This record gives sequence, C-alpha cells and structure tokens, in this order.
Amino acid sequence: MIEATNLRKQFGKVTAVDDISFTAGDGQVTGLLGPNGAGKTTTLRMLYGVMKPNSGTVLVDGVNSAMHPLEAQARVGVLPDIYGLYPRLTAREHIRYYGELHGLSHAALDERIDEIFQLLDMKHIAERRAAGFSHGERTKVALARALVHDPQNILLDEPTNGLDVMSTRAVRAIVRNLKAQGRCVVFSSHVMQEVSALCDSMIVVAGGRVVARGTPDELRVQGGHEDLEEAFVALAGTAEGGARR
Amino acid sequence: MMMYPRWWRQTFVVLTKEFVDAWRDKRGMTSVMITVLIGPIITGFMMNRIADRQKAAEEIRLPIAGAEHAPALVEWLKQQSGVEVVAAPDTPERAVRDKDEYVVAIIPPDFSARFRSSRPATIKLVADSARADTAAQVSRVRRLFEQYNAQIGSLRLVGRGVSPAVASPVQLQDVEVSTTQQRAARLLSVIPLMILLAAFTGAMQIATDATAGERERGSLEALLINPVPRSALAVGKSMAAAGAAMLAVTITTGLCAALLRFIPLQEMGMRFRFGLPHLAGMLAAVLPVCLATSAMQSCVATMARSFKEAQTYMGILILAPMLAGMLGTLYPISNQPWMYAVPMLGQYVLLTNVLGGRYPGLIAFLTAAVSALLVAMFFLRLTVSLFKDERIVFGR
Repeated sequence: MIEATNLRKQFGKVTAVDDISFTAGDGQVTGLLGPNGAGKTTTLRMLYGVMKPNSGTVLVDGVNSAMHPLEAQARVGVLPDIYGLYPRLTAREHIRYYGELHGLSHAALDERIDEIFQLLDMKHIAERRAAGFSHGERTKVALARALVHDPQNILLDEPTNGLDVMSTRAVRAIVRNLKAQGRCVVFSSHVMQEVSALCDSMIVVAGGRVVARGTPDELRVQGGHEDLEEAFVALAGTAEGGARR
Repeated sequence: MMMYPRWWRQTFVVLTKEFVDAWRDKRGMTSVMITVLIGPIITGFMMNRIADRQKAAEEIRLPIAGAEHAPALVEWLKQQSGVEVVAAPDTPERAVRDKDEYVVAIIPPDFSARFRSSRPATIKLVADSARADTAAQVSRVRRLFEQYNAQIGSLRLVGRGVSPAVASPVQLQDVEVSTTQQRAARLLSVIPLMILLAAFTGAMQIATDATAGERERGSLEALLINPVPRSALAVGKSMAAAGAAMLAVTITTGLCAALLRFIPLQEMGMRFRFGLPHLAGMLAAVLPVCLATSAMQSCVATMARSFKEAQTYMGILILAPMLAGMLGTLYPISNQPWMYAVPMLGQYVLLTNVLGGRYPGLIAFLTAAVSALLVAMFFLRLTVSLFKDERIVFGR
C-alpha cells in the first residue's frame, strides 16, 4: 500500500506537483491520469524515492520514504519513464544486476529470473545483448527488472507507451495478474482507455493538482460526459493554465 | 554505512558490472590499450636509437682532406682507440650538406710550414650543427683535435724550458655528483611520466561511461531506484575505474621494466641494473595514486551532462601528471620531503628515485600513499553528494 500525503515539488519557480494526496491500496490498480506535463512522472519519482518532496510524506507499506529511503525502496518495483538499459549487457545480466543490488542470493536469484522469463515470455531473448532489442523487448527487460525482487508495490510510468497491440495486451495481462496476487499497482498514463480498462480507481492530475478522483464511472459523472475521453478533457481542462513542469 | 557487509556486497556488485560493461566495449578497450602501449613502445624505440648513436660516437670514421700535409697528426689520430681515418670526398662541404659524411677535417697545404714555425696552423672542421643525430660524433672529433692541440702546446713549452702549468692559469675540473644510475634515470625521465599518464588513461573509460554515460543513457535514475546507498554506487564505480587504472599502470611499468632489461644501457655509458625490487618499488609508489586519479575523474565526469563533455574534462585533467613531470624536470632538486605529500608530484619523485637506484625510505612511500588516499576520499565524498543531488541525477 502506498499513501501519499500533501506532496509538493518545486523546480525553481515552477511548482510541478502541488499538494497531491492519494492512497493506492493492495489488490488494486490505481491509475494516475493526466496530460503531458501534468506532474505524473514527478509524483511517481517521489513515490519511488529518487526525488525528495519539498513537503508532504510518502508511506510505502507504512514505511516513511524520507526517513527510511532504502527500506521503502526495497518494497517497490518500478518501470521508470526511461528504461536506461545497458546496450552491452544481456537481458539476463540486467535482471541479475538489479536482483543482486536488492541482495538476492545466487540460487534464489537464478530461480526467480527463470520464473520471470516464463511469466513475461522472454526466454528467447535472455542471452541476447540489449543493443538490438525492439521497444517491446526493452519494455519486457525493464519490467522484469522491476519485478525481480518480488515487490509488494509496483509503479509503472506509462508502461504501454509506444508498444504494439500484442505487447500492450501482455502488459495488461501482467497488471491483472499482479492485482490478483493482491499487490498494489500504480500506473500512470495519458491514455484514457488504457486506464479505464485496468484501473479500480483513478486520479486525474493536471497542472500538478488532483482535479478528480474515483472509479471510471464516477469520473464520467464528474466530467459530465458519457464518453470517458470527453470527461477527461473536461476534467483536465479545469486546471488549464496551471503550472507546467 | 561502510561497516555493513551489505554495503560492501552492493559496492562489489556495481564494480563487477562496470568491469564487465567496459570489457565488452571493444572500441573503448582498444583505444585505452593503444594509449597505454604506445608510450613504452615509442620510448623503447627511441632509447635503442640513442644507444646506437652513443655506440657510433665511440667508434668513429674520420674523413680527412690533405692528410699528407700533417702526417704526424694523422698518425696520432690513428693511434687513438676507435678512430678510423679515411680519405675525404672531393667536395667536403657538399658531402656534409648532402649527409654523405657527418664531418670532414680539411688540412690546408701550409699546415706543416706554419706548424714547424710555431704559428697557429688551421684545421677546418666541416660539420652540420643542425644534425642532432651526429652531434655526439662531431664533438668526439672536436675533442680529439683539442687533445692534440693541448699535447703539442705542452711539449713546446717544455722545449722552451717553461712549465706547461704556466700556460694554464685556471684548471677546470668536473666533479660529477650524480651516480651513473642517476644519469641513466635522467635519460629515462619519460618513464615516470608515462606511468603516471597510465594512471589517468586507464581509468578514463570507466570513469566517464559509469557516470556521465549513465546520465546520458538515462540509466542513472533506474539504478537509483534500487535500495542501494549512493555511497555504494559512487565507490563501486570509482573502484572499477581504479582497478582499470591499476591494470594500466601495471602493464606500463612491466613494459618499461622489460624495456630496461632489453635496451643496451651499458652502451650509453651507464651501469644500470634494473631488477624485481625496482619493479616492486615503482608499483608501490604509483598504485595508491590510481585511487586518487580514478576518484577525481569519476567526480568530474559525474558533473558532465554528456559523455562528450566528460571526455573534454578528462583532456584537461590529464594535464595534472604532465605538470608534475614538468615541475620534476624544471626543479631537479627532487629530494624535498614536502614533495612526497603532493599527489602526482610525490609519485613522480618516488619513481625518479627508484629508477635512479635510490631507496627514498618507507616514510616517503607512506606519505605519498596517504596523501593520495586523502585526495581519493575527498573526491569520493564529493561524488556521493553529487549522486544525491537531483539536479545531477535528472538534469539533462
């Protein structure tokens, strides 16, 4: 479970995140929805502990990420905005590197890697170097890296961006699978359909603020449109002219 | 933080990954290898040439035009060791200009007449002072004639009942302070510089790729998501660079040692015996400084936004050992104790001493090592704080 309370983040004079609070529960998929530059990535970065909020707190399974950053980070798995793969390392080496950094022992790690390869259907690329990977293959490696230590909380920053239909479906299947295992999944996107197909609750962010929250049905009502995309445009538009990152 | 086994394990994991990554960068590895190997190879070649030249000066061929005008002089010359008198070409100036001959002595027809009447008899020495490769041989020829001049002058004074000492109001006496090994060391003064440069060039690739490269690829953020203290990341990356620097230094030192065994140093007039204790001494002098160079390079490269920018900074940093080398040659009073406390300079002085066959003492080695360690720690701390800085991690 992830609890964010009154998160604020400023870059110079620009307020990228302005008082965002929400709770993402276990066994749930929480969608962070907003246009480009709304503050989604900055919010996620504070959740996974690489950015310090100017004010506000993040609790990961009750662990304060400002006071115990390493313990909080050990409880999350992240698919970041930029994967940052190493072109000269193989898929297996990428996952082993992160697993070892998480302190997994060798025998357990090898077992876990094979399990993930099975889950993500990526055995055929296991021993290949990342230099020649397609976008879909790169996403799989990054996802496998995020899951190697079997985290309770999973943060995905626009995971289906630029993926083809097959890969998008694979990612959705994994998200549903994680949810069924009782994990807490937070998922950011600017694509309405994407979020509504997967999420139990949604948080609409624009201009660094939460402009709406609820289930997809509740958002349709709040936005005053039967069509979710129209509702999103209406909701996001209320913060138009607000600060951008 | 540093006491925990977990911290060390993570540091080691980072170090190993950087090693594997760098080793697979064939292009980068090749360029490092070339930079490390080229110095010793060129130096070896040049020293061989110097030795050859020195040998050539010992045994000279002296073309003389008009030898028949001074038979006594020519006879004397022939008796000197290693001198072979030959006939001169018809046009001495042109022969020297065209580099057919390095020197020609011309004895004019009035030589014997002037000689007999005790008037200064001229001998022309045709030589090209712009040619560095034959300078040693020309000066040997010049010394031969001066020697003959002094010898005949003394005989004439004795013949007139005057002591030759009267004609020498001042006698110049050279007192050589440096031992032969030290003289050899001065000739070999490029070696310390080469070894210090290897401490930089060896670390360069990993220091830039693991920091600036990581930022440029965007992989730094992903890496920082892991529950790893920033200090473990910074130390792991720096240590990987240090390992590469140590490898480069060991290779360079080993090559230089092989060079010193292979090159005929005796023929340069030096009795230099280079053995395993010297090799060990040189490594002990220079290995600690690898920690400092790699920590400094990693730190500077972390500040760079891109790989290219980092490489530009590396080019500036490499001036540091050059400066040490220059100071070392400009001020050869190289036994000031404070010098050991200055990183790079201390190592340079230590290397020069060991190469000169002198043992500078354990304290000197320790001082140099400790100062290098302090510098390494300073830059490591700085790198750790850079890794904690959001402007560095996300500023692209």
